[in-house]
Amino acid sequence: MSTKTPNEQDILRPIGIDKISKPYLALFGVASLAFGIFLIGWFYQLWVGMSVTGLSDWGTGGGVTWGLYIGAFIWWVGIAHGGIILSAAVRLLGMDRYMPVARLAEMLTLAGLSAAGFYIIVHMGRPDRMVTSVIGHYHITVNNSPLVWDVTVITAYFVLTATYLGLTLRYDVTRMRDQLPDLFEPIYKIMTIGYSEKEDKVIERMVWWVALAIIIMAPLLLHGGVIPWLFALLPTYPGWFGAIQGPQFLTIALTSAISGVILVSYAFRRAYDWDHIITDDIFRGLLLWLGFFCLLFLWLQLQQLTAGSFSATIDHQAATASKLSHPAYIVPMLMVVGVLAYIFATTLRPSLFNKKRAIGAAVLVLIATLVEKTYFVVAGLWYPAFDIYSATPGEYFPSLIELSSVLGTIGMVTLFFLVISKLVPVVELHAIEHLRGDHGHGEHEHEEPAESATDSEVKA
Amino acid sequence: MSTDDESFHPLGSEWEDELETMLDDTEYDTELGMQMAQDAFRVSKGELSEAEFHEKYHDDVMEEFGEDERPTKEAYQKMQAEASEEGTVSRMLSKFEGDGEESRRDAMKKMGAGAAAVGLGAWGTVDDGPEEPPQPSAGDTAAQADEDEDDGVQWGMAIDLDRCDGCLTCVSGCASENQLDSGVNWMYVLQYDDPSATGEGSELARPAGAAANRLVRPCQHCTDAPCEKVCPTTARHTRDKDGLVLTDYDVCIGCRYCQVACPYGVNYFQWDEPDVPADAIKEHYEEEGMGDHMTDDRGRWVDSRAPRGVMSKCTMCPTRQDGQMGEGQVGTTACEEACPTGAIQFGDMNDPESDPQKYEDNPARGRTLWRVNPPSADELEEDLDGVDDDLESVLEATDLEEDELTLIKAVDIVSDGLYDGDEELHSHDLDYHERNFREALDALADHGLDHDSEEVLVGLGLADETDEDEEFDGPDERDAQMELEAFTGSPDSNFRLLEEYDTNPNVIYMGQQPGPNAEQTEPTGTGARYEQLSYDTVTDGEIQIVDNRKDVLDEDTVGGGLFS
Repeated sequence: MSTKTPNEQDILRPIGIDKISKPYLALFGVASLAFGIFLIGWFYQLWVGMSVTGLSDWGTGGGVTWGLYIGAFIWWVGIAHGGIILSAAVRLLGMDRYMPVARLAEMLTLAGLSAAGFYIIVHMGRPDRMVTSVIGHYHITVNNSPLVWDVTVITAYFVLTATYLGLTLRYDVTRMRDQLPDLFEPIYKIMTIGYSEKEDKVIERMVWWVALAIIIMAPLLLHGGVIPWLFALLPTYPGWFGAIQGPQFLTIALTSAISGVILVSYAFRRAYDWDHIITDDIFRGLLLWLGFFCLLFLWLQLQQLTAGSFSATIDHQAATASKLSHPAYIVPMLMVVGVLAYIFATTLRPSLFNKKRAIGAAVLVLIATLVEKTYFVVAGLWYPAFDIYSATPGEYFPSLIELSSVLGTIGMVTLFFLVISKLVPVVELHAIEHLRGDHGHGEHEHEEPAESATDSEVKA
Repeated sequence: MSTDDESFHPLGSEWEDELETMLDDTEYDTELGMQMAQDAFRVSKGELSEAEFHEKYHDDVMEEFGEDERPTKEAYQKMQAEASEEGTVSRMLSKFEGDGEESRRDAMKKMGAGAAAVGLGAWGTVDDGPEEPPQPSAGDTAAQADEDEDDGVQWGMAIDLDRCDGCLTCVSGCASENQLDSGVNWMYVLQYDDPSATGEGSELARPAGAAANRLVRPCQHCTDAPCEKVCPTTARHTRDKDGLVLTDYDVCIGCRYCQVACPYGVNYFQWDEPDVPADAIKEHYEEEGMGDHMTDDRGRWVDSRAPRGVMSKCTMCPTRQDGQMGEGQVGTTACEEACPTGAIQFGDMNDPESDPQKYEDNPARGRTLWRVNPPSADELEEDLDGVDDDLESVLEATDLEEDELTLIKAVDIVSDGLYDGDEELHSHDLDYHERNFREALDALADHGLDHDSEEVLVGLGLADETDEDEEFDGPDERDAQMELEAFTGSPDSNFRLLEEYDTNPNVIYMGQQPGPNAEQTEPTGTGARYEQLSYDTVTDGEIQIVDNRKDVLDEDTVGGGLFS
C-alpha cells in the first residue's frame, strides 16, 4: 500500500478527543447500544431472577444449568490468550515481526478477561455475595473447588498482564509526553510516576520475566488448565471427562485469540491508515498461525470422536453420537475445516490471500469456537453418566437476554478499545523504532494490495 | 515440609497455629490439647511410649473431660494383646468413649478437633514401626480423622424399590413440608424401561403384584459429596453432627457448580422468587411450635425451600433431626412419613439397630412387618374369651389366619427380639410394627397358646417334628426365613447408585438396579401422575406438582416468541 516510513505521528494519530471522527462516534454509538441493551437485559434478570434465561436444572428440571453464559465465558478467556501469545512471540522468542500488534493484543487480553469476569458475575444467582462468600472462605475452598482455581488464575493473569502493559507504556508515554493531550495529564502523571531513563534496562528485564511468567501460566494453567478442569475433572460427564480437554481447550483458545487479534489489528489499520505499520505481512503470518492451530483443534476433536465411537462405554458413546448428529457441533467443525482449507490453499497459491478473506476466516473461527464451546457445555449436561431422565430431556435454547450478552460483551470490548486508543498509543514506540531502524527489514515482501479494503464496517 | 521453624508438627507452625485456634474455639483446654498433640508426635517417633503417654495425661484428661478409659500402665499390656486387629488410633480413641453410648465423633470433639487432627497423624504411624518417620500431611490427617469418625450419626435411607407403588405421596409430602415451587421435586420417583432388568423378586413384594421398574430418588447425602467438593463458598457442606449434606442459603452465590458436579441430578436452583414467602413459612411453623423450619440448631438457614438465586435440594429434614418439630420427629423425614408402603426407611446408617439397617439386613422381614397387620391385643383378648387355647381353636375364634400367624411368628423367630419399649411410635417406624407383632403374640401367649412349643411351631411349619428320643431344639430359623421370603420375596439386588464414582452415598436401594441403558418412561411416577397432584401452601394457596420444571420456568424465559 505504501512504503512510507512509520513515525511517531502515526501512532499518535488516534489519541486525544479532538481526534474523534464521525466513524468513531458511530462505532461508539453502536457499541454502546449493544452493551446497553445487554445491561438492560441483565438488570431485568437481576430483577426477576435467572428464570429469564433459557436455563433450567438438569435431571428432572428438563434443562441444563450452564449454557451460553459459561460457553461465552470460556470463549472470552480464550480470546484473551491472544495478547499473551503475541507478546511472548515478540519478547521471548524474538518474533519482532509482530511487534506492531503486540500491544493491541495485550489490550485484547485485558478486555477479554474483563468480559469473561463480567460473565462470571452475570451467570450467578447471587452476584452480590461474590466478595463475602468467595473471598471469606477462600482459604478452604481453594483446596478443592476448580471454580476457585479459575477465579484465582484469571485474577493473577489479569494482574500480570496489566502490570506488563503498564510497565511498557511508561517508556512510550514519557517519550511522547509532549505530543499527548494535556487533558489526560493526571493519568499520564500517574502512569509515569517516578520514571527515569535508568529504569529502561530494568524494566526491559522485568517485562521479560513477567512475560515468561504469563506464557507459562497461560497455556499450562489457564486455558490448558483450570478452565478445562472445570469440566474435565468430572467423571460423571463422559462428554467432558478426560485428559484431552486441556490440550483441546488450548487449541480453541489459540484459534480464537489469533482471530481476535486479526480483527482488532485490521480495524485499527483501516481506521488510521497504518498499512505501513500493521503490514500485510503481519496478517499473512497471523493467518498461518491460525491455520496451524485450527489443524491442532481439529486433530484433537478427531481424537475424541474416535475414542468415543470405537468401543466406548455406553454413556460415552451417547455423548459422541450427539456430536456426530448435532448441528451445533457439526457446523462449527465444518467452518474450521473450511478456514483450514483456505489457509492451506494460500500457502500453495499466495495470490489467494487477501485481507478480506483473512477477516472472513477470523470471523468464522470466532463464531465456530463460540458455538462449539457452548455446545460442549450444554451437551455435557445432556449426556451424563446417569442418563436416566428421558422424560425430562435437557432442552436448551438461549434466551434473548443470553444472546444479547454476546453482542453486549463484544460492545464492551469495542468500547474498551475506543476509549483506550484515545488515551495511550496502541502501537508501541519500540515497534516504530524497530520498523524504521536498521533491523534488516529490507526484504519487505509487500505485494501491491489487490484491493483496498472496501468492506464497510469492521467490528472488533 | 517445613521443619526449620520451632513447631513440633511436620506441617509447620502455621498449621499449628490454626489448630490452636480451633482448640480455642472449643470449651476445652487449649494448652492441654496442644501439649498432648506434641507428645503424640513423640510417641510416633518412639521418644515416648504409649503407656507413658497415657500415664502422663490420665489425671489431666480426667479433670478436663471427666472420663478417661485409656489404659494406664497396668492395663497397657492387656491392651497390646487385644490390639492386633484394630488400628492404634481407633483403639486409643475408643477408650475415650465412656459409657459406650457416646460416639467416637463425640469423643473426638471432647479431645478438641485440633488435638485430634494433630495427634491422629502421629498415632496413625505408630503401628508401622518406629523406623518409618512420621509424615502426616493435611490430607492424611483429615482422611484419618474421617475414617475414625464413622461411628457418629449418619442419617440415610434404605429404599425398597419393589415396594414402591409410584403413588408419589413422598413427592407431595416433601413439597408440602418444604413449601417447594412447582417442579422442584427434591424427592422424585421415576419409572423406567430397562432391557437388562430381570424383574425377579419383585412379584411378591406387593399384594398388587410386580411393580414397574421404579427409582425413588432423594439426594443421596454422599459421605464424599462431589457437590460439596466443588463449591466455591462452602455453602454446600456436610453437617458435622449427623452427616447431612446441606446448603447454607445465606452463603450460596448461585454458581450452580454443585448441580453440575452432582452425578445424580438432585439439585434444584431457585431460578426466581419462590411462590411461598419465607415469612409465611416461619410464621406457620412457629405457630405450630416447631421452630421456623428454616434455621437448624447451628443457626444456619438450611431447611425449607431456597430463596431466589441459590441452590436447593433434598435436605433429609434437618430441623426434624434437631428436634425442632418435636422429639417424635427426630429420625423421620417428610417423605418417609408420607410413604404408605414402608418403601422409605430413614435412620442412622451407622446404627445397626436403625430402621434402614434392620430393613436392609432382612428385607423380607421388613416387608412382612409392613404388610401383615395383626389384630390388636384387645381384639384378640375379646375374641378369645372362653375359647380353648389350642392353635386350631385360637385361629377359629380370631381374625388371624394361619398364614398370618405363621408370618408373625416367623418374624419373631428371625428377630433378635421385637420392640418392647413404650415410646410414642408412628406407623412409619419399624418398631411400631414390631410392637404390634409382639403384642399380638403376647396376647396369644396370655391366653395360653404357647407359640414357642413344638406343637404350635410344627403346626405352623416353623420347626421340624422331633422323634421321641430327641429334645425339641426350638424353631427353625431357616424355615422361618423361607416363610417370609415365600410370602413377600427378597429383593433382586442391593445397591447404592453410581457406587463406582466413589461418592459413598448414604441411600441404599433394594430391588432392581437401573442398568446403563435404563430410560425413563412417560408418564413417569406411576400410579399417580405428577400433574394430578398438588399441595396446599401455608398461605392458603395451591401449588401444582409438576414433573418437568422447564415447563414452569419457560413462562419467564425472555424468548420474545422467537423460540416457542
